[in-house]
Amino acid sequence: MSEASGNFNRTQYRLGFWLLLAPIVLWLSLLIILPHIDMVLVSLRERIASRQYGFSFGNYTAFFTEPLYWNTFVRTAVMSIVATVMTLIIAFPVSFYIAKVLTGRPRIALFILCLLPFWVSELVRTYGWMILLRETGLISGALQWFGLADQPVEMLYNDVAIMVGLIYTSMLFMVVPLVTTLDSLDNSLIEAGYDLGGSSWNVMRSIVIPHAMPGIMSGCIVVFMLTLGNYLTPTLLGGKSSLWFTEQIYTQFITRFNWEQGAAFGILLLILSSLIVWLGLKITRQSFTRVMS
Amino acid sequence: MSDHASASGADAGAQEDLACTLLSKHFGEFTAVDGVSFSIPRGAFFSILGPSGCGKTTLLRMLAGFQQPDSGDILIKGKSVLNTPPNKRPVNMVFQHLALFPTMSVAENIAYGLKRKGIPKREHATLIDEVLAKVYLPGYGDKRIDQLSGGQKQRVAIARCLVLNPAVLLLDEPLGALDLKLREQMKIELKRLQREFNTTFVYITHDQSEALVMSDQVAVMNNGRFEQVGTPQELYYQPKTAFVAGFVGDSNQYAGKVQSQSGDLVTLVTEQGVCLLSHASQPLVAGSPITLFVRPEVMQISTSRPATEQDNCLAVTVSRVLFDGAQSRVQVETAEGAELTVALPQTADFQALEAGRSVHVSWQASQCLCFPAPADTKPPGAP
Repeated sequence: MSEASGNFNRTQYRLGFWLLLAPIVLWLSLLIILPHIDMVLVSLRERIASRQYGFSFGNYTAFFTEPLYWNTFVRTAVMSIVATVMTLIIAFPVSFYIAKVLTGRPRIALFILCLLPFWVSELVRTYGWMILLRETGLISGALQWFGLADQPVEMLYNDVAIMVGLIYTSMLFMVVPLVTTLDSLDNSLIEAGYDLGGSSWNVMRSIVIPHAMPGIMSGCIVVFMLTLGNYLTPTLLGGKSSLWFTEQIYTQFITRFNWEQGAAFGILLLILSSLIVWLGLKITRQSFTRVMS
Repeated sequence: MSDHASASGADAGAQEDLACTLLSKHFGEFTAVDGVSFSIPRGAFFSILGPSGCGKTTLLRMLAGFQQPDSGDILIKGKSVLNTPPNKRPVNMVFQHLALFPTMSVAENIAYGLKRKGIPKREHATLIDEVLAKVYLPGYGDKRIDQLSGGQKQRVAIARCLVLNPAVLLLDEPLGALDLKLREQMKIELKRLQREFNTTFVYITHDQSEALVMSDQVAVMNNGRFEQVGTPQELYYQPKTAFVAGFVGDSNQYAGKVQSQSGDLVTLVTEQGVCLLSHASQPLVAGSPITLFVRPEVMQISTSRPATEQDNCLAVTVSRVLFDGAQSRVQVETAEGAELTVALPQTADFQALEAGRSVHVSWQASQCLCFPAPADTKPPGAP
C-alpha cells in the first residue's frame, strides 16, 4: 500500500520535473541547437548548379586561402582580447571602490551611475560617442577653441575609437560580477593581510585578486563574447576600416547572399570564442562551473 | 601568576611590552574608549573583559592600528606606535572569525607573514613545521582551510601569528564560534601556548570564565573605561565597584538601605525588609541606598538551623531546584518574599530536596559585599 503510493508520488514528481524542464529544453533545441546544426550543414555544402548542392569543405578552405578573411579574424580576436583586458583594468578599481570603500547611499548611487547608460540602446550610446569624436564634434571644436588645433580633428574611424566604444559598452558586464565577488570578501581578511605585515600591493595580489578570480573570469568571458560578436560599435565607430569579423559574416549573408560562406564564418567564430575562453580558464586555473556559479 | 610576578619585580620600564596612556576614541557623540591607561608586563596573559558594546573591540583595533585614537598614546616595547601603520606594528591579531585566507593552504597561510617579514624562503619549511608541531597540528601544511575543523582553524590562526614572534598577540574573542567542549579545551591550550612562546597576549572577551581561567591580569571594562584591573582572584574576591561585583561571577543582588555601620561591618535592610550584615570597604551614610552582592557559592544550605553562630541566617522555602550536575542551584524564598539563588552541593544530604521544603541558608558578613547604589541606573546584573 505505502509502496504503491510512494511509486505514485515518484511518478508525479517525475512528471512535474519534465514539465518544468520542457520550456528550457524546447528553447535550447529549437533556438540554439537546431539552428547551429543547420549552420554546420549549410557551411559544408557547395552550390554546383541552380538549386543543386554538393558536400564540400570549400567554404573553410576559402577562409584559409583568402588573407583578408584570415587577417580580419585574427584582428577581431586580438582587439577583443585587448578590449577585455582594458575593461578589466578600468573596472577593477571602480568595483573595488564600490564594493569595499563606499557604504550606504553613495555606494548605491555609484552603482546606479554605472548602470544608467544602459537604459538607452547601444545605438544611441554609440551615436553619443560619434557626436563627441567626429570632425565637427565636441572634442574637435573644443581643441580648436582652445587653440590646440588649427583645423578640425577627425577622431572617428580608427582603432582607438573602436576600442573606446567597445570598453564603454562592456563596462557594466565587468563591474557587476566584480562587485558581487568583491562584496563577498570578508573585510577581516584584508585587515589580516595588513596585520601580518603585507603592503597594499601584497594584500591586493595575494588576497583580493585570488578571491575575486571567479568574478574576474566570468566578467572577462561575458565581455569577450560580447565584444567578439559586436557588430554595431565597430561598424559605426570604425567605419569602413574597422575590419570586424561579424561584418564579414554580415556581408556574406546579406550583401553577397553567400549563405554557405557566411555559415562557415559563423562556425569558425564559435570555435574561436570557445577556444579562447577555454584557454583563458586553463591559464588562470579556473573551472567553468565555478566561474559561472 | 608566576611570570607576572617575576616580570613586575624587574625594571618595569624595559619589561613592558605594551602600555597605553589616556587612550580615547569617539564616534560622533558616542565615546567608545574613554581615557584608558594600562601597562602589561612582558609575557603576561592580559584579558579585557566587558559586555558587548563596552569599547573593548575598539580598544583592540587601536592597538592593532586599524583605528586611530583621538587622544592618548600607545607604546609597544617603550616606543610610540601611533604613526606606525598596522602592517609595520610588531603586533599580530587573531580575528574573531579567524580570517584565514581560504585561497591558500595551511602552510601558505603561515608563509604569508614570513614572506612579508623577508625571511629567506629556504627557512620557511622548517619554521612552518616547527610552529605546526607546537600547536599540535604536525603534517597539516598541505591541507586546505575548508578541510579543517573549528578547533584546528583556531590553531592555524594562532600559529600564523606566533611564527612571526610578535611583541604582543591580540586575540579578539576567538573562541566565540566554538562549541562548549572545544572551548574548554582551547582555554587550556591557549594558556599553554602563551607560556610556551612566552609572548604577551591581549585577549578580549565577554565571557568571564575565559578571562578568569586563562589570565594573569584581567581588566574589567564598562562604558569605555576600565572599572578594575587585577588578578582573577582579586576581581572575584575583592571587586572594587558594583559593576565588577555584578559582572564577574554570579551574584544575588539586592537593593537596600544602610541602617548602621561599625568599622567595615554594615547592618542593612533590603527592599523586602530582610535585615542582613555585610562587609563594606568604604564608609556609608546611614539611610543611603546600597546594592548588596551575595554569591550563590558562599551560602550554606542546611535542613536545620546551623549549630555555629552565623552573621546571616535565613529561614527559607525552596521554590525551585535547578539541577545542572556540579553547577546545580536551588532557588529559595524568604518569608518576606526575597528570592535567593544558592549553590546546591551534590551530596546525599540534599538529594531529596524539592520545592516547598523549608531549609536554612547562612553566610558570614565577610563573604558578601555592598556598594553605594548609583542614583539613576541599576548595575547590570549577572544572570
